[in-house]
Parts: sequence; C-alpha cells; structure tokens
Amino acid sequence: MLFRKMIRDIKSNVSQFITIFLMVLIGVMAYSGIESYMDGMKTTADTFYSENNLQDLNVMGANFTKEDLDKIKEIDHVKDAERKLSITALTDKDKTLLLNFIESNNISSFYIVDGEEFSYDLDGVWLDEFYAKENNIKVGDEILVKYEDMELHEKVRALINVPDHLYDVRDESELYPDRKEFGFAYVSSNEIPESFIKNKAIKEAGVSEDIFDMMMPNFNYKDHLIYNYVMVDVDKKSNKNLVKDKIEDEVESAKAVIDIKNSNSYVQYQGEIDEGKTYVGVFSGLFLFIALLSVITTMTRVVKKQRLQIGTLKALGFKDSRVLLHYMGYGFYISLFGAIFGLILGYFIIGKMFIGLEMSFFEIPNGKPYFGIQNYLVAGIVVLIATLISYFTCRKILKEKPAEALRNEMPSAKNTSFITTRGIFKNLSFSSKWNIRDMLRNKMRTIMGIAGVVGCCMLIVCSFGMLDTMNRFIKLQFSDLFNFDYKLVLKENISDDKLNELYDKYGNNTSLSLGIEIEKDGEKEANNIFVDDSNNYVRFIDKDDNFIKIDTDEGVYITHKLAELKDYKIGDKVRWHIYGDSKYYESKIIGFNKDPQNQNVTMTRNYLESLGIKYTPDSIYTNKDLSKVKDISGVESIQDINALADGMENMLSMMKTMLVLIISVAILLGVVIIYNLGILSYTEKNYQFATLKVLGFKDRQIERIFIKQNNWIAIISILLGCPLGYYLTDWLFKTAIEEHYDFGAYITIRTYIIGAVGTILVSYLVSRFLAHKIRNIDMVSSLKANE
Amino acid sequence: MKDFIKLSNVKKTYKVGEIEFNALDGVSFEIPKGEFVVILGPSGAGKSTLLNILGGMDDVTSGNVVIDGENIENYDKNELASYRAENVGFIFQFYNILPTLTVRENVDIVKDIVKKPKGTMEILKGVGLSKHADKFPNQLSGGEQQRVSIARAIAKNPKILLCDEPTGALDSKTGVEVLKLLKKQCDANNGENTVIIVTHNAQIAEIADRVIRLKNGKIESNTINKHPKEIDEVVW
Ligand SMILES: Nc1ncnc2c1ncn2[C@@H]1O[C@H](COP(=O)(O)OP(=O)(O)O)[C@@H](O)[C@H]1O
Ligand SMILES: [Mg+2]
Repeated sequence: MLFRKMIRDIKSNVSQFITIFLMVLIGVMAYSGIESYMDGMKTTADTFYSENNLQDLNVMGANFTKEDLDKIKEIDHVKDAERKLSITALTDKDKTLLLNFIESNNISSFYIVDGEEFSYDLDGVWLDEFYAKENNIKVGDEILVKYEDMELHEKVRALINVPDHLYDVRDESELYPDRKEFGFAYVSSNEIPESFIKNKAIKEAGVSEDIFDMMMPNFNYKDHLIYNYVMVDVDKKSNKNLVKDKIEDEVESAKAVIDIKNSNSYVQYQGEIDEGKTYVGVFSGLFLFIALLSVITTMTRVVKKQRLQIGTLKALGFKDSRVLLHYMGYGFYISLFGAIFGLILGYFIIGKMFIGLEMSFFEIPNGKPYFGIQNYLVAGIVVLIATLISYFTCRKILKEKPAEALRNEMPSAKNTSFITTRGIFKNLSFSSKWNIRDMLRNKMRTIMGIAGVVGCCMLIVCSFGMLDTMNRFIKLQFSDLFNFDYKLVLKENISDDKLNELYDKYGNNTSLSLGIEIEKDGEKEANNIFVDDSNNYVRFIDKDDNFIKIDTDEGVYITHKLAELKDYKIGDKVRWHIYGDSKYYESKIIGFNKDPQNQNVTMTRNYLESLGIKYTPDSIYTNKDLSKVKDISGVESIQDINALADGMENMLSMMKTMLVLIISVAILLGVVIIYNLGILSYTEKNYQFATLKVLGFKDRQIERIFIKQNNWIAIISILLGCPLGYYLTDWLFKTAIEEHYDFGAYITIRTYIIGAVGTILVSYLVSRFLAHKIRNIDMVSSLKANE
Repeated sequence: MKDFIKLSNVKKTYKVGEIEFNALDGVSFEIPKGEFVVILGPSGAGKSTLLNILGGMDDVTSGNVVIDGENIENYDKNELASYRAENVGFIFQFYNILPTLTVRENVDIVKDIVKKPKGTMEILKGVGLSKHADKFPNQLSGGEQQRVSIARAIAKNPKILLCDEPTGALDSKTGVEVLKLLKKQCDANNGENTVIIVTHNAQIAEIADRVIRLKNGKIESNTINKHPKEIDEVVW
C-alpha cells in the first residue's frame, strides 16, 4: 500500500522528481564521464607504453658503434638497448619526415594499424599512421624520401603507432602538431645505401674517392653505419638514474642521456593529463556540487510537502521506522536510477567523446575511457546524500507530535524576530521586510540559492576569464616579448662565412640557447640558458609586466618562477654545465625576469664570453618581410611570429568550443537552481500570496515582491561570484598548468560585466517566468488548502 | 440606499468530470447598508461560495452581483483587486495572517494598498492587542490570531466585512469576544458598515439584523430580525 502511495506521490510531484533524477544524472554523468576520460588517458598510455616497451632512456651522440651498444647492454640493470639513426628528411612533396633507421624493433615497438611486422630484412617503410591518413597514403603505396645526397624509394609496408611518437612537432616552437606536413617513418638500416655511408666516410677522411678506395680496400659500409641514438630499456624505473650516470661515465660517445620523461612526446601527453586533471577536477566537482544542491533542496521540499501525510500516517499508528523507511525510499530509488544512468552515460557519452577527441590529437591506439572505482564511490555518495536528506527531513517532522504535524508548518519566531523588528529594519517597506524574513527563515534554501547562483556566475566569469588570460598571454608573448617578425633558426654547423652573409642580409640580432643541467643540493635538472644578443628584438619583463633591460654582464638572470621553485635569491650562485661537456660553472644571480612560457636562465653575450665559452648564435631575429621566402641557405627553419600567434589563436578557438559548453552548462545549472528554488518557495508562498490577493494586492505588486528576493540573491551572488571567478581562473593558471608556464589570471572588466549581466539575466528571466504563475493562483482553492 | 448589495439569480456551477454541480443555484437577495447579516446553512450549502463571490474572490457562472451600484461580475482582475482593497475586509476561520510578519506589520501591510488606512496602533488597541504588537503570529493564541485578522480587515476601513466561520476554531468565550468586535465594526462609522457572517451556529443568528438560510445552493429563507438581541443576552 505504501509502495503504491510512493508511486502516486512521485506521479503527482513528477516535475520535482524529474528534477532530482536529472540532477543526479547530470552530476554523476559529468563527474564519472570526466573521471573515466582522464583515467582512460592514463591507462591507455600506460598500456601502450608497457605493451610496446617504451624506452626508459634516450642516449644521444654523434655516432654509436657496435662496441658502444654492447657496452651499454652490459651495464647492470640494462635489460635491452637498440640503436637508431634519426634524421629529418624531406619527401618529394616537400613534407618533412622524421626518418629512423633501426636494426631491430623490440624497444618502442610498432603498433601495426595496417600492414606487416617489422623485419630487418624487409625493405620498405613503416609509416606514421596519422601522417599517412592526412596525406592519403595507403599500405603498398610508394614514397620518396630525400636526405642530403640520399634518395630512398620505399614501399609502405605498414601504418604504425609508436609509443615514442604520440605527439611530434617539427620544432618545439610549434605549438601544435601538423600531421599533414610532419610525420615519422621507420626503415630498416639495411636500406641505408652504401654510397651515402661511403661518401660520408670519404668526406670525413678529407681525401678523394680514389685515394679513399686505396686506403680502405676492404671498406664494408655496414661496419660504418651511423647511429645517433641508443634507446635503453632499464629493468626497474628506480634504477634509471643509476644507469644514466653509468652511461655518462663509461660511454664516451654519449653526449647526453635523457630520461624519456623529458622527451617532448611524453611531456606533452603527461601535460595533457596533469592539466586536464585539475581543470576537469574543478569543473566536474562544481557540476556535482551544484547538482547536489538542487537535489538536496528539492528532496527536502518534497518530503516537507508530505507533512500532513506524515502526520496522518503517524495518527493511523504507523511506526516511525516504517514511515522513515517509506520516505527514504523516495530519495533512494530516484537517485539510484539517476546515478546508474549517469554512470552509464558518463562512460559511453562523455568518456568516449573526450577520449575520441584526444585520440585524434595524440597518436595512440586503443584509446578508451577507464572506469575507476571512485566513480561508483561518488555515485554511491550521491545516492546516500539524497537518501539521508529524505531521512533527516522526515525524522524532523516525525519528532513532532502527530497533532502538530497535522497542522501546517508555522515558522518558529526565534529565527525571524532578532534584529528585524528594530532599527532600520522597522522602516523598510513591507516587501523588503517580508523578503528578509523569508530568506532568514529559510536559511538553507537561501544559502543554496546563493551557492548555486554564485557557481553560475563564477563559471561564466572563469570561462571568459580564461579567454582573456589566453589573449593577454598571446599579446605578452608575441608582441611584447617577441619584438620581431621572423626568427631564423640556424643550421647547427653553419660556417662563419654563411653567418656573416646572413648578418648582412638580416641584421646581427641573435641569440643562443644552450641546453644545460643545473645542480642544486646534489640534484640535477635539465634547463637551458638563453644568451641574448638580440639588441632588444627579444624583450624582457619584470613580474609586473614592465619592460626591463638585460644588459649587466656580471652574472645571470633567472625567471621568478624558477627562483621560487628552486629557492634562489639574488646574489645566490647557479651551478651548471652544458650538456655534452662536464665542466661546471657558477654564476651569480643578478636579477629576475618573468617569462610566461619558459622558466630558464638568461645571460648576455658578454657574460658568456667572459666565461670563456664561444658564442655561436643559433637564431637570428629580423623584421624583414619573409612571408614569401621558403628556404634560406644555412637556415634550418624560418619562424613567422604572426603565424605562431595565429596558431595560438587557432588553439583558442578550440578552447572556445569547450568554453561554450561550460557556459551553457553554467547557465543550465543557474536556470535549474533558480527555477527549482523558485518553485519550492513558490509553493511555500502560494498560500501567503493568496492571502495578499484576498486583501486586494494586485498581481503586479505580488510579483514584484516575489522577484525582489531573487534579484537580491543574484546581486549577492554576483558580488561573490566575480571575485571567486577571478580566483578560480588564477588558481587554474597558476597551479594547474605545467611548471614551465608562469601566468596568472588576467580578467577584463568586460568579462565581469558579462558574468554579472548573464547572471542577472538568467535570474530575472526565470523569476519572471515563475512570477507569471502568481497570476494563476486561485485564491479560493489556495486558502481552502489551508483549512 | 435600499439595495446596497443586490444579487439576482446568481448561479455558480462547478464541473467535476462530466457532472455539473450548482454550488449556488439561482440565489437572489438584497441587503441594505449597515446591516449585521448572518448566513446560516449546513456544511456544503454554498455559504463560502456565496461569500467569495460577494468578496470578488470568485466569479459567477450567471446572474448579477451589484455592490453599491456597481456590477462587479463584469470586473476584470485588476478591478476586482481594487474592489477588494477598497471595499472588502475578509475574515476566515483559520485567520490567514502572514506568519513571517509581526502583529503590527500584518496590520501595516494594508498601507500598501489603501490610501487612507486607520492608525495601526489605534486598531490594535481596539482589538486588545496593543501589548502584542511586536510578536509573531505563532506566539499568539487562536483568539488573538483571529483578532489580528480582524484588525487587519478593519484597518482598511471597509464598507463590507465578510467573515467565513470566524468563530469556528475558537472556544465559545473567545468566540464571543470576536463577535463583539465584529458588531462594534458594524456599528462604527455611523452604522454605515455592513457585516456578513457565515456560520452554521444558529445562536449567532439571534444577534443579527437579518438571517439568510441557505440549503443546497438555494435560499431557504431571508428574514429580518425585528429585535436582535445584544450579544450578552444570548446564552452561548
Ligand atoms: N472548486 C470546487 N469544485 C467543485 N466543487 C466545489 C468547489 N468548491 C466548492 N465546491 C462544492 O460546492 C459546494 C458548496 O461549497 P461551499 O460553499 O464551500 O460550502 P459551505 O457552505 O460548507 O461553505 C460543496 O458541495 C462543495 O463540494
Ligand atoms: Mg465553508
């Protein structure tokens, strides 16, 4: 019988129950969807890394011989090692391919999307799947690759993914991989043409081919193959540093040993996870919170509305526990269904969708969301809260005597009497007094209303604030700091003649970046030095974004954030050495600068030279118009700053779609909260409004009283929501993004106005809509309901 | 001035599903200004419906309702609101006062709708509530709450006071106090105020100028009491 009553109650309160159901569903869906997406990112990569045996260390050098390789393999804790020759080649269609020649494929092994397994004896190329797709290349097609005097015609054996290449950019100034223009390819080193190796050897020997042939009658090119990388697989992660040190000490050809965790592909992917975790944690938490708010308010109301019935059940002789159980069922069943659907939809819609998006960006097979235990936990907690709310609300009513419960609820005087009967309150208008009392009397409802609307305002401010901040960042980076139009990245071994020629043409505004390792308190960390000789083509700022000059030759400048992270003060010494050279230098810190992207060390050319290090620039800055120039001899790449800024803006437009999503959810939740609370207070006030109507108040007057309260709530929420929106944005940028970034929230007045107007608008429209219902209050039956 | 209130052939029909039901089935009567009228009838007779129509809270299905020369059945919503504000005071069995306002404020709110209300404290004194002016309704007894609702009704200085079972929830002693207040209101203003009380308590009829008996939506009788008793003369 009671079960039938429950079904009837649900039917007659269908809109409230649908609200609860939907809110639980949305909250759980957002949370579990996003969580399973983030966890899926991690497990997908972990699986790929371990199944396809991603290397632990990359050893770089000019050339590793067979002996070098054997030596590395013999080091304790080394499980396996493989050599590769990695070069940047061009195709006949002017695309760039990172071409790798390998002997075997046990480390960083291929995931074959289509085609056959790698074998040393097979000719042909194993090609980047994304690149192939973008360029419409299929298995069996033939591609042409050129490098110096080498030309390879290779049939595509397979399309592959490789754990070392989730994310590849041509050079690190590119913010975004361009799969159409740049990809990776693997070829058996058996395919390296003899002439290529021989020519190199002849050049090295510095003799003519005839003489070379005479000198080396038994020249076997296979003994002279060049390998510039060794990939090392270590038995246990904890032994990585041990092995690293050993290789550095014992293998002379090893210029640098780099942990895979510092490789671009790994860092970018991990960054996406780390970044996502915070952003997403905040937003899914907020959604859940707001959803819970409305579940709590609605549930409370539904049970409170049952006051008379609870009294009746009690009067009939039902035991308290029986009644409690009955009403707990309300919260339990509805939220259970909501939570189950939320979990399912979260995984299949949100999780799959986001993973799908990521997997079109990162080249990684079998991406799928991962459903962690915490999703069940959160869903369980939501169900528990909904059940508990109905339990406590019901228990409160049960505690009263049946006779009291049978009477309609009268507010207790103590909530409302304090202060509001004296002082300035005395002179307030009736509607203000009434609203203040009503808000104080329903503190919980008021607080939830404010919390919900604050959340709405905060999300709007934060969304637009993120755009503001990014725009600010683009301006700072690409027009304040980068005070040039083009950066020419010079070839590594450019001759002095060539360099002077370039100076004449493009000016001698140059810089040099040195890969260094900083040692502090026994810990070593990779970093870099920017040696500035750019004559203000590259500018610097202090932490308040004011320009500063870096022109003192007595020491180094480091960025604020680096100083903060590593606890450096002005006057301290930085101990560092250049990669590939074990000589340590100690440089005094003479100033701080701020860099939004790169936390490093900066010094003048004069200071570098005073240390006895030769200044060989690797970049030239110019404002000459190079938009039509494709290729400059001696220049590795031409970077167009405006194109970079545009690329950045492209990325922003991607972000915008995401923000639109957040904003619509914010508005949706704002609407639901205000509507929900409005509906609740509406039924609560129905009787009072009917009384006012009987007295002769006009509909408009009553509507105004009703809207007033929501306007107050909106205003209070805006006052709280705007600063909170700022702090949320700032927090997201400061702590959530990767360590090498340094920028805080920068929010324009316009954004605050949008946030405020948006919130007011949402609140006002919903209130208006609700107020309209006042016209339909039927005085006679409303008052009768009270009898 | 004879027909201050004039109802002719008033019908109120409720439709419940397919069945039509006449809560008022052709009611006609006239009430001159200044009378103290009691409407008697069993539960379900249509008393509240009649009162609601007189108060402009409900519309009629057919028939005319003329109050002070105006056909209120033709009024729109706003005109009805003004009519209620300016002419009518309502008193219900369950008081219907606003729980979040103090006694004083409950009376004060008529200032928002009436141009020249009576002084609040003066009225509260009149109903014997001046000591409780700053209390909230739930701190008062039932009789006191009903007196708040009377104070609020007469603060508007209405020409018509409509009372639906005003003593229904009160003990007889408190009920007598309330009746005295209602009678006092009727006699105030040079005896120009009209008071209509709906009740199923036949004793109240003894003090009325006019008694209208209602049954099944029809007028059973409409009699003038030549010699109404004083309230204290009646044995309650
Ligand atoms: N909204 C309504 N719908 C249907 N019937 C109604 C409605 N309001 C009142 N009635 C019926 O009209 C009749 C008169 O009601 P009412 O005027 O409240 O009687 P009472 O004399 O007890 O005050 C009753 O039979 C009641 O059931
Ligand atoms: Mg009645």
